[in-house]
Amino acid sequence: MRFGWRLATLGVVFAGLLSVLFVRLWFVQLAEGALYAAAAENSTIATESQIAPRGDIVDANGIPLATSRSELVVVVDRAVLSNEAEDQVVSRLSAILEVGPIVIRSELERAGSGQVAFISDMDITADMAYTVLEQRLDLPGVTVEALPERLYLEGSLMAHVLGHIGLPSSGDLERNPDLDPNVVVGKLGVEREYDTFLQGTPGLVRYTINAQGDILDQVDASDPVQGDTLWLTIDSVTQRVVEQILADVIVLAQDRKDEKEPADRRTLPTERATALVMRVDTGEIVAMGSYPSFEPQAFVGGIGEDEFASLSEDFAFNNLAIQGLKPPASTFKAVTYITAMMEGIFPRDTTSVEQTIECSAQLRADFVDDSQLVYQNWTRASDGFQNIHDAFRRSCNIYFWELALSIWRDFKGTEDEDILQDWASVLGFGRRTQVDLPFETAGILPDRELFDEWQVTQPWRVRQEGWLGGDLMNLAVGQGSILVTPIQLATAYATMVNGGTVYQPQVVDKIVDANGEIVRDFGPRPLRTPEIDPSVVASLLADMGSVVRTGGTAAAAFSGLDGLELQMGGKTGTAQGFVDAEGLRHAATAWFAGVAPISNPEFVVVVMVDEGGSGGAVAAPAAARILTQLLGGSPTPLVAGVDAD
Amino acid sequence: MAVLSGPRSSGGLLSDRRKPTPDVVMFVIMVALMALGVLMVYSATFVRLEAEGLDPTGPMRRQMVFAGIAILAFVVASIIDYRQYRNTAAFVFIAVVLILFAVLFMPEQRNAQRWIPIGSFQLQPSEFAKLGVIMVVGTVLAPASETGMRWARLIATLLAVSLPSFLIFRQPDLGTMMVFSFITLAMLFVAGTTFRQLLVLIGAGVATVVAFWQLELLDDYQVNRILGFLDQQSDLQSLNYNLDRSRIAIGNGGLFGQGLFEGPQTLLNFVPFQTSDFIFTAIGEQLGFIGSALVVSAYGLLIWRILVIANSAPDRFGSLVAVGIATMLIFHVFINIGMTVGVAPVTGLPLPFVSAGGSAMIAMGGGLGIVNNIWRSRSPVPGREYVPLR
Repeated sequence: MRFGWRLATLGVVFAGLLSVLFVRLWFVQLAEGALYAAAAENSTIATESQIAPRGDIVDANGIPLATSRSELVVVVDRAVLSNEAEDQVVSRLSAILEVGPIVIRSELERAGSGQVAFISDMDITADMAYTVLEQRLDLPGVTVEALPERLYLEGSLMAHVLGHIGLPSSGDLERNPDLDPNVVVGKLGVEREYDTFLQGTPGLVRYTINAQGDILDQVDASDPVQGDTLWLTIDSVTQRVVEQILADVIVLAQDRKDEKEPADRRTLPTERATALVMRVDTGEIVAMGSYPSFEPQAFVGGIGEDEFASLSEDFAFNNLAIQGLKPPASTFKAVTYITAMMEGIFPRDTTSVEQTIECSAQLRADFVDDSQLVYQNWTRASDGFQNIHDAFRRSCNIYFWELALSIWRDFKGTEDEDILQDWASVLGFGRRTQVDLPFETAGILPDRELFDEWQVTQPWRVRQEGWLGGDLMNLAVGQGSILVTPIQLATAYATMVNGGTVYQPQVVDKIVDANGEIVRDFGPRPLRTPEIDPSVVASLLADMGSVVRTGGTAAAAFSGLDGLELQMGGKTGTAQGFVDAEGLRHAATAWFAGVAPISNPEFVVVVMVDEGGSGGAVAAPAAARILTQLLGGSPTPLVAGVDAD
Repeated sequence: MAVLSGPRSSGGLLSDRRKPTPDVVMFVIMVALMALGVLMVYSATFVRLEAEGLDPTGPMRRQMVFAGIAILAFVVASIIDYRQYRNTAAFVFIAVVLILFAVLFMPEQRNAQRWIPIGSFQLQPSEFAKLGVIMVVGTVLAPASETGMRWARLIATLLAVSLPSFLIFRQPDLGTMMVFSFITLAMLFVAGTTFRQLLVLIGAGVATVVAFWQLELLDDYQVNRILGFLDQQSDLQSLNYNLDRSRIAIGNGGLFGQGLFEGPQTLLNFVPFQTSDFIFTAIGEQLGFIGSALVVSAYGLLIWRILVIANSAPDRFGSLVAVGIATMLIFHVFINIGMTVGVAPVTGLPLPFVSAGGSAMIAMGGGLGIVNNIWRSRSPVPGREYVPLR
């Protein structure tokens, strides 16, 4: 025991050191073991993904509109190239692909240093690809791959519905971190709305790798699966007709203005128009056109900056059918009509909507605050005594103003004050229709509340007095602050003629996967059911019919259609032209909302021509040609109708 | 202290005690660890070698040859009377200094001059120098008073260690320098330093470290290793990459391990220096916590045996040499395993008997042989006078 306590102390110290190892091992292997095990798994498996072809898009009859083809792409892995080697590769590729070295250099730069660059969109032929592969030894890090590429088969047809694709922006990647920055995503239209269905499933090959990154073995592999096929509700035949009519109506409107406008009062040129056809009992969109348009194919492989800027300047990417905001003008009278009929609101000094009042040239309105305003009808002289049916047919502002004044007098300050807005709102104004397309706008449905809000937020838009009877009078004839989109108007008309079911408009009917299995089958999606008496519906349909016949505002536009006009109806609208803050003269917005057949409504058509002029003269004949197409009539050349509200 | 008095009860047959019986437990543990090392070296190399079309058993067979030589060294050292080292301590000292000096003229490998190439074998003299230092320090301290050491002896000890330490520092090999320091410290303590002397020693040690730091005598990589150890979240990649990889491998073992030849981190060569300094990661991943704990326990048992032998040694020199060898072992084990799990800084100290490499293996085998010789020379009854061995 000579060294007894000293040795024992040493033994305790040694035991302490070993205990530290035990505790630490327990901690690393058991307490945190799962964490490290996960890290271990990740470090030994490398995955390589193969881009899946985007799903097809076909029209209602299965006619393909957008598909995927495989395109030869030269892939350069910059990580394995030294600077000198890369210079060699660039000059060799330039010779083989028959493009300047600068072009190839810029493609490499775009990918970033050390990244994999895809040289595409250069008409790489199979011969070129073989040459590249043959010279593989002199082209380190270079391979040729066939990558799927979007192909639009019908040019600019329904471009706004289809949309276009593009590489994900930094914003897209932020929103959805799962996106592959090298794989295109939908940017507009159904390409964007249904991107997750169209993307497909990328193929994945998993390898085990060692610490040096060498591939040792393939663990498993799955082939890429093409994205789902979108079946649109749109009929490409009708769509083509609609787009042609839109192009024609632009020319027609401009010609009329050239002819009629005095040289010192020229308005801005007519450049934009839209039309859509909706099935009244499902909300399905049969056709939707917006002019001007663009070629979706231009975006494949990246659109040129100049081309993009020029198209943007023309608002070619705007889908006016869901984004174009204009006052609906007299087309809104149908809403006022329904409100009056359903709520029993009569003009001054009458006890029934069937009674007539004189549709004089102007209306003097005396307000309770002793203010007095004179409102001018669109006719220069008195249009005779009219009841609601005549007023609808003749688009008599006086009658509808009187209805607004009745509401103002009877309900001002009560909760029924908004009775007209309530009907408009339930029919879909002032809110998105929820059509399955991105960037839809909601429009504006003004009332006292909104005006009070504007007093604070945008005081230049409203008078100090706030909401007044005159604003309600404006609203009753679709003027003033109200702004609607064509698709809102179509939805409202469909609801009024189908007896009171607001359907969510849709451009996609069903989604079918690569195996032909139906993934989604969108039936009609009713949103609201404001009940409208069948007698009121019948009355409205009859009055819409009279609009297009002798004595109606659209009679001239609907003549010469081989009697098919007897199955058509509708309402004209002309939103007043004005001189804007910059002193530019704006022509009126021409509207027509039509329906056919009136005996058993199937389709609603809405045509809107920006800077177009009179609804009866410009929009109505366009709508008449579209309705003719829908009813199976033979096409007739587009000729102007007669100026009418 | 009954525990430290050996496996046999005292007062047995004196005639039996006079026979030189080897320490079987120590030998078995040593051989078992060697076998484990051979397996681990194979597991960490065969995949890569097969992939390169080379003989996958190459490094393993090399390791088996080293183990055989180490066992031979054990046997030889068990036969040589350990007191011969005390008698020849001056020559041992000169030999240690000369060979460490010679190394400094050898070609540089991996930024250090530690090896003397002999054919395909790289002799690492510092491994043998560790044993030499133990002998020299034991010789200097053996006459020390148990109840208080004279300052002159303490200083003589430090002077004896300082020359080999300086030569090691020039290689550079900080790990071995630390081994020298801790061996010396432990032997000084057991030899009878006073509490005050111990404090002064520790103070001087700290002062030396600070001086090295302040005078920037350390290479960047050495500084980084220490900084990396102190801040394990940091991005000192050169070090913490190893550390992360080794911890991932060991953590991947879990309770039972991935199984022999099944650990992906081990098989796929993710841990650098995996057959040498980081061999424990292969154990941790393939054999799990249970295997790791068994290995640590084996070292514990081995060191416990050596301390028992130190306690029953026939003279103070034998006792101090056994303490020195026990300290050398525990320090290697703690630093080597500790660095793979992040409780010790990264230094190039091998895991005794397991890490690939011949010099350390043979030196350690010889070291245990010396301890075995001390055991065989023990007195029949603890505390009694020593009976010479013939």
